[in-house]
Amino acid sequence: MALKRWLDRLTLLDLFDGLSVTGRHLFKKKVTIQYPEQKKLPSDRFRGMFRLDEERCIKCTLCAIECPINIIYIDWHNEKNPQGKSVKVLDRFDVDLKRCMFCQLCEEACPTNPKSIWLTTKTYEMAAYDRNDSLYLDIRKLTDWRAAENVKPFTVVEQG
Amino acid sequence: MSDDRPISGPEKDQAARTADDLKAAALAAAESVPVSVEPPTLFEVQEMELNFGPQHPSTHGVLRLVIRVDGEKILETKPDVGYLHRGTEKLFETETYPMGIPHTDRLDYVAAATNNHAFCLTIEKLLAVEIPRRAQLIRVILDELQRLSSHLVWLGTSGIDLGAVTPFWYAFREREQILDFFEEYCGARLTLNCMRIGGLPFDLTAGWVERLMEFVDDLPSRIDDYEQLLTDNRIWKKRTVGIGVISGQECIEWGVTGPVLRASGVEWDLRRAQPYECYDELDFAIPTRTNGDTYDRYVVRVQEMRQSVRIVKQCIDLLEPGDIRGKVPRVIKPIAEEVYASIESPKGELGFYCVSNGTNRPYRMHVRPPSFINLQALPRLAKGHLVSDLVALIGTIDIVLGEVDR
Amino acid sequence: MKVLTPTVLTYLKVVILVAVVPAIIGFVVVLAERRLMGFMQARLGPNRVGPKGLLQGVADLVKLVTKEDITPSRAERAVYFLAPVLAVIPALTALAVIPFGPAIRIGKVKTTLWVTDVNIGLLFLLAITSIGVYGIILGGWASNNKYSLLGGLRSAAQLVSYEVPMGLALVSVLLMTRSLSMVEIVHRQGRLHLWFIFPGLLAFFIYFVSGVAETNRNPFDLPEAESELVSGFNTEYSGVKFAFFFLGEYAAMIVISCVAVTVFLGGWLPPFPHVAALKFLRILPPLGWFLIKAGLFLFGYIWFRSTFPRYRFDQLMALGWKWLIPISLANIVIVACAILATPGRSNGMFVLSYIFGGLFVVMFLLAKLRQKLARRERLAAIPASAVE
Repeated sequence: MALKRWLDRLTLLDLFDGLSVTGRHLFKKKVTIQYPEQKKLPSDRFRGMFRLDEERCIKCTLCAIECPINIIYIDWHNEKNPQGKSVKVLDRFDVDLKRCMFCQLCEEACPTNPKSIWLTTKTYEMAAYDRNDSLYLDIRKLTDWRAAENVKPFTVVEQG
Repeated sequence: MSDDRPISGPEKDQAARTADDLKAAALAAAESVPVSVEPPTLFEVQEMELNFGPQHPSTHGVLRLVIRVDGEKILETKPDVGYLHRGTEKLFETETYPMGIPHTDRLDYVAAATNNHAFCLTIEKLLAVEIPRRAQLIRVILDELQRLSSHLVWLGTSGIDLGAVTPFWYAFREREQILDFFEEYCGARLTLNCMRIGGLPFDLTAGWVERLMEFVDDLPSRIDDYEQLLTDNRIWKKRTVGIGVISGQECIEWGVTGPVLRASGVEWDLRRAQPYECYDELDFAIPTRTNGDTYDRYVVRVQEMRQSVRIVKQCIDLLEPGDIRGKVPRVIKPIAEEVYASIESPKGELGFYCVSNGTNRPYRMHVRPPSFINLQALPRLAKGHLVSDLVALIGTIDIVLGEVDR
Repeated sequence: MKVLTPTVLTYLKVVILVAVVPAIIGFVVVLAERRLMGFMQARLGPNRVGPKGLLQGVADLVKLVTKEDITPSRAERAVYFLAPVLAVIPALTALAVIPFGPAIRIGKVKTTLWVTDVNIGLLFLLAITSIGVYGIILGGWASNNKYSLLGGLRSAAQLVSYEVPMGLALVSVLLMTRSLSMVEIVHRQGRLHLWFIFPGLLAFFIYFVSGVAETNRNPFDLPEAESELVSGFNTEYSGVKFAFFFLGEYAAMIVISCVAVTVFLGGWLPPFPHVAALKFLRILPPLGWFLIKAGLFLFGYIWFRSTFPRYRFDQLMALGWKWLIPISLANIVIVACAILATPGRSNGMFVLSYIFGGLFVVMFLLAKLRQKLARRERLAAIPASAVE
């Protein structure tokens, strides 16, 4: 027994074992994704940027109620449409994205089918220099990709 | 440079309110300062107070430790927590039950699924709802994947704490793959919000199970790699064997749970001791060791990873089509009651204690965070060891400051 | 009039050495280290600056030079300034006696590839490299930072523990070389057709371990110990001063490698120069062989760094005093006996080579077998239900 222990101590086999692992990895495939050139494709359910379909929205404010941190602000007023029927018109639909924790409870709460507000937009490039302006979404930014200048829908799909 | 103010400063200030008290306090303070102007002799022990954190590479976040050292030997450790306090428990009271789930993500942020699970389990106990079998199985899969990813983070970071940089990258490579599975399932990688009261928000996507099976088949060989790097390595052994020994009895007295307890020879795992979901029908071993030192805690966690792989495989085999959400009212208004439910999170017993009052908000929520309670044992573990070992010990009790400070 | 007199040539060589070695460090060693470590860790490493990341060294240099140079208000200013200089100068000075190649002739100019051939070269090296540690100790002390102080103290402990086995390991080689001159050591290896690594296998091992410890590299990087002492002795240093420490560490690494190559690996000689079948190896110039060998040694450093955890400082001292010093003393006795007991001037070395080589191979195989058995045992010990 003692002899065995001595043998273990003297031959440094444990150290050679460790070296063999790192040595093997020297030639293995690397897993780095070269970010700006290669991008990881988000999954279909990926919770990215907010989108709103103003026409589908029934102004029920359930999303604002369900939001755990109250970052959705909705105001509307009644208006007569050409048929003389009273309809709700959105005055304000703001999402304070800089406080958002992307829990998707608003999307779950939305009663319309398909959902009027959704997060599964496959984008994660939301960095901005001015968070108060760029990360505060109003109706314009929520419905038009071009209005939110810092965010682009995910198009480049390359994986290395 | 050394600030002699004790941590309980504000209390002391409050006590010394009157002018007389202040005078007395000043006198006492003057007395406590060594008056002798003689320089210390060569062999006199000179104690030094060292501020360890909150900005320190290996306190795993914003833990602050005030340690008194003699050279490098630790005489006393005082953990100072609260730098990441966000009032989560109070936050639960202001919101309806389902709205609390995303907040639990932020407790132990490297193991969000188990937090969600413990929270949902508590409310489900309050409502006494039945969880469909498929939902139970998927919950167990998510839990075990989360345990794997949490242990991988622990393995990598505690390796870095002891100067072994490479296991970190290997562990994070595998963790990324696990996070990919989470992302595909629920759309988020870290703050998952992947469970709902009564079941799950989504069913699995097509092909998820097959890819997961492929991954867990491959994982044991990756774990072999980590073990080859560390388990037999003499330096690793030297740094961990006999460091921070704590007996099973002491663990129980401190309330320490999880791998730390099991490494001290107590076979206590809530998955076995009070089975929740479908853990009672699964076949898995609870790895235990007897020495209760850092090395044993390492071995226990690595073995647990292997067991998690087995559990995931069994659950995949048991999966059948079915409901993923039990019958839960749209507005959750439980009767006034007090419940406590706990699960075996990667770090130990994670419990939620909920007092309801018949409204749609909890009257009081309390979290039993394993990290916080395990952290209490740190001064006891660290006493008499060296500064280098302190780093190993912070790593070995596997704390996440989000959970410690809540 | 002859311009290139030997004196001028020497000055020229010094200038080249002082200019070239830091450049090599910046461009080659640091980049190689970071990229190789990256590869070993399943990632790519820095590959953005310049083609394939080749200009990373320039970027680092620009960053360090343009950074604000902060001196803590309560630091000991003079010492704080002096410490980084103390870390670099000895390491660069030590390069003076390293023979990078034999005497060469460029056009009409005949010169040697060493700055000077001191007849006590090895002693000079030991003396001058041990000064470098003062930079670390003083830097740690002068920063007036508790973490730096601990780092400096650790460095002092390390220096005391590892200078001795390193010197003793070299003594056993001296028994074979019969000279302290670095050039003579290489020539003797050439004459004997035997690199001293073979009879000095044990000495080489001890030298390697102590060398890693001397240069504060993983697994002995305690004075820095990123995860324990934040950054140890250089916590407070920034900008150019930090760059000097950085340079000093890598220059010391290069010196240790060069000494190892000269003393144990036959310096500029190609492998087995007397074997006719290996004559083609002489295509590469001697300097090339020297650099390849030094590079391999440096690769060992990098490989170690990416594989091993860090020792604790008391364990490090225990390793030095309880293992390396006794082993190196025993090694001296063995080498001396072997040389005295066998007839002829060099037969003993060959005998020693066979003994060491054989012993190493046998022990390695035995241990491999034992490890296999132990793994089987360990697997058998786990209950059947727990095995995949």
